[in-house]
Amino acid sequence: MGGMSRWLDVVVGTDDIDINTLPSNIALVDLQNDNEFKLVVGDLGRGEESPRLKIFKGAMQISDISLPDLPLGVVSLYTSETSPRSTPLIAVAFSTCVYIYRNFKLFYKYYLPTVELNASEMEVWNKLTDPANHNEETILALTETLHNMPQKILSIQSRDFLAMTLEQQLEFLENSTDLPKKRDREIACITTLRMSSVDRYSVSCVVVGTEDGEIIVLDPQTFTQICLVKLCTVKKTPYQMVATGLYNVDYRITVATREKCVCLIKREWKEGRLLFSTEEHVVAIEVLTADSSIMVICTDNTLASYSKKGKRQWLVNLEHRPVAMTLVPILHLGVTLVAVALASGHLHLYDGKARRDSMFLRDVVSVMKFGQLGQEEHVFIIVTSNGNLLLKILKRTADFNPHAAGIELTGAPVAQKPWLIPKKSKLFLEQSVRERETAVAMHESFQHELNRLRLLAAKTLLEAHTKSDNFIGAGVMEPIRLSAEVEGLGPVFRVTLQVENTSADKAVVGLSVLFNVHSTNYKVYNPYIKVPLLGPGNQIKFPTKIEEIFSENINPDVFFRNVTGQAGEGSLIKVLLLKEGRPNPVLAATVTMPPTDPLMIPYDKIQSSGFGQSDK
Amino acid sequence: MGGGVTQATVLVLGLDNSGKSSLLNALRPPEQRASLTVPTVAHKQDQFQSGGVSFSAWDVSGASRMRALWERHYRYANAVIFVVDAADHLRLVVAREELELMLAHPDMFGRRVPLLVLANKSDASHALSATHVAAALGLERIADKPWHICACSALTGSGLADGIAWLARQLREQRSNK
Ligand SMILES: Nc1nc2c(ncn2[C@@H]2O[C@H](COP(=O)(O)OP(=O)(O)OP(=O)(O)O)[C@@H](O)[C@H]2O)c(=O)[nH]1
Ligand SMILES: [Mg+2]
Repeated sequence: MGGMSRWLDVVVGTDDIDINTLPSNIALVDLQNDNEFKLVVGDLGRGEESPRLKIFKGAMQISDISLPDLPLGVVSLYTSETSPRSTPLIAVAFSTCVYIYRNFKLFYKYYLPTVELNASEMEVWNKLTDPANHNEETILALTETLHNMPQKILSIQSRDFLAMTLEQQLEFLENSTDLPKKRDREIACITTLRMSSVDRYSVSCVVVGTEDGEIIVLDPQTFTQICLVKLCTVKKTPYQMVATGLYNVDYRITVATREKCVCLIKREWKEGRLLFSTEEHVVAIEVLTADSSIMVICTDNTLASYSKKGKRQWLVNLEHRPVAMTLVPILHLGVTLVAVALASGHLHLYDGKARRDSMFLRDVVSVMKFGQLGQEEHVFIIVTSNGNLLLKILKRTADFNPHAAGIELTGAPVAQKPWLIPKKSKLFLEQSVRERETAVAMHESFQHELNRLRLLAAKTLLEAHTKSDNFIGAGVMEPIRLSAEVEGLGPVFRVTLQVENTSADKAVVGLSVLFNVHSTNYKVYNPYIKVPLLGPGNQIKFPTKIEEIFSENINPDVFFRNVTGQAGEGSLIKVLLLKEGRPNPVLAATVTMPPTDPLMIPYDKIQSSGFGQSDK
Repeated sequence: MGGGVTQATVLVLGLDNSGKSSLLNALRPPEQRASLTVPTVAHKQDQFQSGGVSFSAWDVSGASRMRALWERHYRYANAVIFVVDAADHLRLVVAREELELMLAHPDMFGRRVPLLVLANKSDASHALSATHVAAALGLERIADKPWHICACSALTGSGLADGIAWLARQLREQRSNK
């Protein structure tokens, strides 16, 4: 299906590239602040090769740093908001510490806080190290106390001591008088969390998950611990974390654990909670920012989506074992796809549970990531299990909507849920018997109630209508609300006015809406609208078209306008709400029109801006 | 007519950051050159003379969002200069895709519009040679247009004159054959 593909394959010389890494060890970083993103890979090395941090420009390795140990995770972050922007830091996690690099140079080492020893364990050791206690009986008694403590909280020294015979213990105590050292924590995974702004270059902090099942958040400036939370009441070992939201506002850290479950930590929670359990081991999770729903691939060949509350929304059976997953956000199409790589060498892209694209890679994916590489925004970076690097660029003209050509319709794999038909209960059977026996009486009583309801409605309307006169007299228009909503890319926008009567018992009559446009830049298709009687608590919508008019000599500035911003001074439109018999408008609102998308500007206007008239 | 100067509208296409504006800047007389180029928004017009041809050049924006606007200029173009950043290996495939879309467009297809491909930034480290770029873009497959490729540098100006001279020659030949 070569011609149909949505992806451009970048030719990568495979000779000198050999990458052995983990999904957590790969990052796309604007290393030099020149909007030329580099691929940063924490390489585990292979055989003789020692671990290295490798930097790629496109598919070309441009530099590397040797690492002291096997990397567990690589993240990049900004820790200060200076102008001009400082270069991003790279944090590499190892088993007991995090190295922070700035401009490729080691800049800071963070060690996890050690675990304090249990007080009763300490007491035992105080006695053990006292020579007066070095006799069989006391030692046996003390060993027994040690033995009764939970193994998990004991220091290495205590565990070793318990494994010795009595003679060895005596010998050990003769030779050493040291108290056991504090226990080191070990890092399991690492991620980053934005502090107070979602901006691409805003300050983030490092978040570390430990083997003891704790999550630690580090201060971005001092790299000291600002928050330590246990993942769950029962010990769970984190291995992948996804942090969304802002540390200072509200955040969620979704954590996949090795114990077949996913836990959640939220701001101000003293302890994390179990969100949901899965039947088999979790391979990877991703969190969709739109609704915080969680995508999970498991070793039982499934892709499932869970709501942010942990309820399973759907499940898709995959043909083979899933090996990697990544999000594929495509802003200009307004979709975020989920890419799932299978052990068979297939790569599928899902929008929800619908499959939108498939590729066959020949090689099995080991790690993959989607994002900006170099100057190109939409690049799929794939590291295969034999160390090759594949780069695929999304075509500018690619489209993932379900009707586009080249999409195989999702077939059997999507498990069709059976209809939920409740069993006939006793209650239901009795009711159906009653309905058959007393059908006439039931119908009559229903009609009776219905007529009463109609009468009540008519009475209320009449009352509201009579009261509506006083309403004008009093001149209070507070219960009337006017709001507007603008839709479209331009030049023709749809403006929907909504007039709402919030009063509980008064209707209002004789209203009308008038548009007042300051400049000649806009044409309102329906500038005067009469509003019919508006009952209490009712609202009416009036959609109107408004067109942005471009002058013959188009100002090139219109191409500069940010589509999401506002079109500036001339773009204000006043909406006046008038009431019969009153000289002044009762309400006024201004609508700021968004600028027209440059791509939507009529062709003849662009031409009249001077193009094509080759000089005579 | 006769000995007059040939007029031609030339369209300067290429991905963002490939050096289109820098290139037109380098073709201006030294006293009119700007010291800095910024990414182009929409399009700009520029004039330059070479080899007896007076060029009216359209410098478009190469940004992904703006590339859909290129086709609006095709009908009027007498010649096309396609600029490629020879040091941006990653995006050669994107340049190829855009070139192919341009050549297949109804307003371009089958017209004998001379195509000059410039492998720009030849001064940069890791810049690919003109032959390498020609192969990566699949130029050998173009049958309906006269084309030429040369390496150049908009910063130093090297290689530029040769390319434009070829374009001027093509245009003059075409006019005299009419
Ligand atoms: N080293 C080197 N850099 C160049 C050369 N030509 C252009 N540049 C640089 O490339 C960058 C982009 O140049 P522009 O001329 O603005 O690129 P453009 O193709 O007009 O880009 P858009 O207007 O965004 O489509 C600038 O920083 C130039 O200095 C060259 O020959 N060599
Ligand atoms: Mg430009």
